[in-house]
Amino acid sequence: MAARPRVVAALAAALRDLDAAEDAFSESEARCLALPEPPRDVPAWLFVAARRRALDGIRKAAAAGRHAEAFAQVTDMADIIALPEPIPDERLRLLFICCHPALAAEVRAALALKVICGLPTDRIAQLFLVSEPAMLQRITRAKAKVREAGIAFGLPARGAWPERLGAVLLALELAFTAAYADAAGELAADVGEDLGAEVERLALLVAELLHDEPEAAGLAALVLLARARAGARLDAEGAMVPLSQQDTARWDFARIARARALMEAAARAGRSGPCQVMAAIQLAHTRRAFDGVVDWSAVLRLFDVLLALRPSAMVALGRALALAQVEGPQEGLAAIEALPAGRLALTRPYHVARADLLAKAGRTAEAAAALDAALALGPPRAERLWLEQRRHMTGAG
Amino acid sequence: MQFMLMINEDESAYAGPGGAALMEATLAGHMKLAEDLVAAGIPFSGERLKPAATATTVRSDNGTVTLHDGPFAETHEELGGFYIIDVPGLDEALEWARRIPVPRGGVEVRPVWPMGPQG
Repeated sequence: MAARPRVVAALAAALRDLDAAEDAFSESEARCLALPEPPRDVPAWLFVAARRRALDGIRKAAAAGRHAEAFAQVTDMADIIALPEPIPDERLRLLFICCHPALAAEVRAALALKVICGLPTDRIAQLFLVSEPAMLQRITRAKAKVREAGIAFGLPARGAWPERLGAVLLALELAFTAAYADAAGELAADVGEDLGAEVERLALLVAELLHDEPEAAGLAALVLLARARAGARLDAEGAMVPLSQQDTARWDFARIARARALMEAAARAGRSGPCQVMAAIQLAHTRRAFDGVVDWSAVLRLFDVLLALRPSAMVALGRALALAQVEGPQEGLAAIEALPAGRLALTRPYHVARADLLAKAGRTAEAAAALDAALALGPPRAERLWLEQRRHMTGAG
Repeated sequence: MQFMLMINEDESAYAGPGGAALMEATLAGHMKLAEDLVAAGIPFSGERLKPAATATTVRSDNGTVTLHDGPFAETHEELGGFYIIDVPGLDEALEWARRIPVPRGGVEVRPVWPMGPQG
């Protein structure tokens, strides 16, 4: 239900308890759907009905001698009788609570998806590749920490803003990575689609609520650009199609235009950051749809910036591929060889990148070996089919 | 609400050359922090503990009580002192925890269980 984020957020702020807010919402949603006619203002109806229900529960518990303290916090019993009332917009507060830096980074995105988007626990578990009981335990523990540890239900002080915003963006980025890592491979198709849609909704919400934070806009643009290509990511056999070979006619140009507008607005703030640079790299690739080419020297410069902002082996690998496009496969290979192999050699992108450049350099046997190494790491189905096609084309061994 | 800020630090940071000066600087930092807490009107208490080598642990296991010469857990960082502060929420508690001078180690922040009808 589209009203969910606003209503759950308002309830959580009123009740100061995530579980109570979720339960109250589910209950009033069920009653709302059972009404002979929908109420005039659905979100307001849901909010007032859910809050009254939750407060009734607290009052009964208090009468029974339990939760006396909780009852003492409820001072506004009189004002809940008025209906309808405007819902205070508490979505931003709720997002800051779910993504509090006192919660482990990997649980923040899960909690936001659960509480704000209402995604069922089994689906969140699938996304983060853990069992359902493990995910349920993580979420339960995080909610208990929010309740017991004194995490405030107010907006953070302005001075704490950068750290808190960073935690929100990192949570969203994790959810985004989870949604797009597997190219419609291992996740059931409907889960991937759901998650992509939910992450997009959440990212756009953050960009809307924090409209003067350019990194929030950058992240929303990044998600939009990935979603814009969703229809072109698989071929008729279900094999992955790499970005450079996708049929651009199957891209969603409304999303690309929206991403571009977000990035232009972000650029006016004059504060760049990793999300904006990643989005700019993705946007550079979309140029192929308009004039048939990608400006690889621009992509290379963007990777240089990204590497300075957020150094990592994966970013360095992306930079090596861009370098190969500008200066040739030998230079790209040399850049890859210069990276500390170690853990990188355990990842598929490393072997896929080497295979690509080795094939371009005419070193077919080595390219085939690199593809075998990537296949040996157990890629998801769509990627495996694509790698097998390429392995077949190299023809060696 | 009340929070306990537990200072777990590497005692060896204060050993060797420069150790005494570091200790002096750290203590000065604690004095400053106490002044800031007073100036901010925050109710607080706190103590500094003697080194972990002076600790004795009373262990209980299903009624059997034994004494152990040493701290509860043998780690690189030992509980060296604590504050109890009364602030509105976790964010404020974390803000004060960041201001505790700790050359090497960390500060664990835990809400104090409130005394009351459910105590």
